[in-house]
Amino acid sequence: MSFTVNGVTHEIEGFELTPLLDVLREELGITGAKAGCHQGGCGACTVLVDGEPKRSCLVPAGYADGASITTVEGLGAPEDLSPIQQAFVHHYAAQCGFCTSGMMLAGQSYIAHGGTDDAEAIQEALGGHVCRCTGYSKIIDAVAAAARGDSFDLTETAIGKYTTMATGGAE
Amino acid sequence: MKVVGARIPRYDGIAHVTGRTTYVDDVRVPGTLWVKALRSPHHHAGITRMDTRAAEEMPGVHAVITWQDVPLLEYGHLAALGIPADEPLLAKDEVRYKGQPIALVAADDEEIAAEAVSRIDIDFEERPAMLDLRQAFDPESPEIHREGNWYKHFEDEMDRRQIRKGDIEWAFENADTIVQGVYRPAAIEHAPIETQTCQVVPEASGRLTIYSCTQALYFSMGVVAAHLQVPLNKLKFVGGTTGGGFGGKVDTATETMCALLAMKSGKPVKWRWTREEEFLCSSTRAPWHMELADAVTRDGWILGRKMLTLHDAGAYSRFSPYGLTKHSFHHTGAYTIPNLQFDGYVVYTNRTPTTAMRGFGVTSVSFATETHMSRIADVLGVDPIEIRLKNANRIGDTSPNGIVYTDPSTVSTIQTMAEAIGHELPADYRTMTSEPRTGALLPEHLVAQTANPEEH
Repeated sequence: MSFTVNGVTHEIEGFELTPLLDVLREELGITGAKAGCHQGGCGACTVLVDGEPKRSCLVPAGYADGASITTVEGLGAPEDLSPIQQAFVHHYAAQCGFCTSGMMLAGQSYIAHGGTDDAEAIQEALGGHVCRCTGYSKIIDAVAAAARGDSFDLTETAIGKYTTMATGGAE
Repeated sequence: MKVVGARIPRYDGIAHVTGRTTYVDDVRVPGTLWVKALRSPHHHAGITRMDTRAAEEMPGVHAVITWQDVPLLEYGHLAALGIPADEPLLAKDEVRYKGQPIALVAADDEEIAAEAVSRIDIDFEERPAMLDLRQAFDPESPEIHREGNWYKHFEDEMDRRQIRKGDIEWAFENADTIVQGVYRPAAIEHAPIETQTCQVVPEASGRLTIYSCTQALYFSMGVVAAHLQVPLNKLKFVGGTTGGGFGGKVDTATETMCALLAMKSGKPVKWRWTREEEFLCSSTRAPWHMELADAVTRDGWILGRKMLTLHDAGAYSRFSPYGLTKHSFHHTGAYTIPNLQFDGYVVYTNRTPTTAMRGFGVTSVSFATETHMSRIADVLGVDPIEIRLKNANRIGDTSPNGIVYTDPSTVSTIQTMAEAIGHELPADYRTMTSEPRTGALLPEHLVAQTANPEEH
């Protein structure tokens, strides 16, 4: 079997019933989807399969044969953040960060399907995702901002710039 | 003051939204073995026989450890503070909570490790279990801890945390009424989305590199070094990235055992708890049992408080004596009560050991004291906000343990809250400040407890 992850096609050797999450993490080394529960309960392993959010711990790898998969790594790189990533940074919607990739991919799919900034509709779309730091209101604000098409100058709202150790350290 | 009031970036914000934050589970070390644990299926039992040979002989198994492999079997999380150790790293001849680790296997993959665990031959002799702390505190109940059913090592080897302030007898003799209440908040699981995960790599230098999701890296270093009986310079801890902890990752739950497996197998090992293990076997916020009796006057003064607190440590003491001490200092809440009799016990049960969680020791007492304030207002038929303002901590008041308040914020906090909920206050309460007590707010019974903050 084979599938495309973030635009790159991979030939997969493993067993078709291996969870997609394990193929992504252990075989391909793509670790953005997190193993929070391995039983479909937390949403941290969510990826987009042909644009639809799926819990990759419950998806057999064979189901994804021929599909196009997007993980958080495919949303945008640090120097080229997508709108939803910018919104999550601007609204402080990531605390420990472990649920964040699943939240953003669910939000991305919601917006791609025409979702608006209606808080109740966003709650419904993200209903299967658990954030234990309880940053829900900030997460909903971020998805709403991205749905509205808010633009962010991440350099102006901060002292210095929004930077991380990964992108070159504090200024 | 460049930062106060300004928006500043999260140092890890961009890494979080791009999937580049490396949690322990994301560390990639070729040739890593997976770890699984044999855990107690019983709340309380003796171990009468254990044979790990069938597990050791299984193809793909590289190491099996039991209590016999631990250089120092018992080391307490607060041993450095003089709190005696009572918990073995791996159970030896008894198990005292369901899920307690007994033996661990490191194997080529998770399935082989799990199969090997199931091949460990073990017999138990079940014993009566205490799952409720009030029942465990009953002198008639069977003893479930070798020291008896509560901790005995507060200062001067006292068996309780005790506070005495003022003249409690006077308060109860002069009260118009006594208001009593019992408050019992339950255990809470932290449930971080990242389960307990650890990766240990044995280096050619003889050192161990330990990737840990701990919230308390230097605590964990000390605990691992003590159990292993190695100097700190043999351990390189990599931490600081935690997928949620909330207090539950203060305990050193995985690092020592993974270190032992890495040493025994000579290979890198990784242990990632399942969600089920996280719920059933990781430490929780403690259940508490709190009994309050307040001596109050008709016009809303609290003359004295008697309080009994039982804190459920679970099977072992861990951080509980510390949590109970914090609790005791806060047992009047944000209010000034001059005459106090507090007795707090750290009680052992056969529950999972309990630990810190957001406001360790204090959230329980806040729940009890705030609920009790409203109960007092109900009994007296007075306004629940006004009674709080009347008894609120002010400059020069003293805490249960004799600390003089120099900048208490109770008055302004309650006024702000009253405004937020549209609660009309009479003018004298609306204009009240935290300034030292005078006049009607300094009745005779509060004179003795006040102190001059300038002198402290």
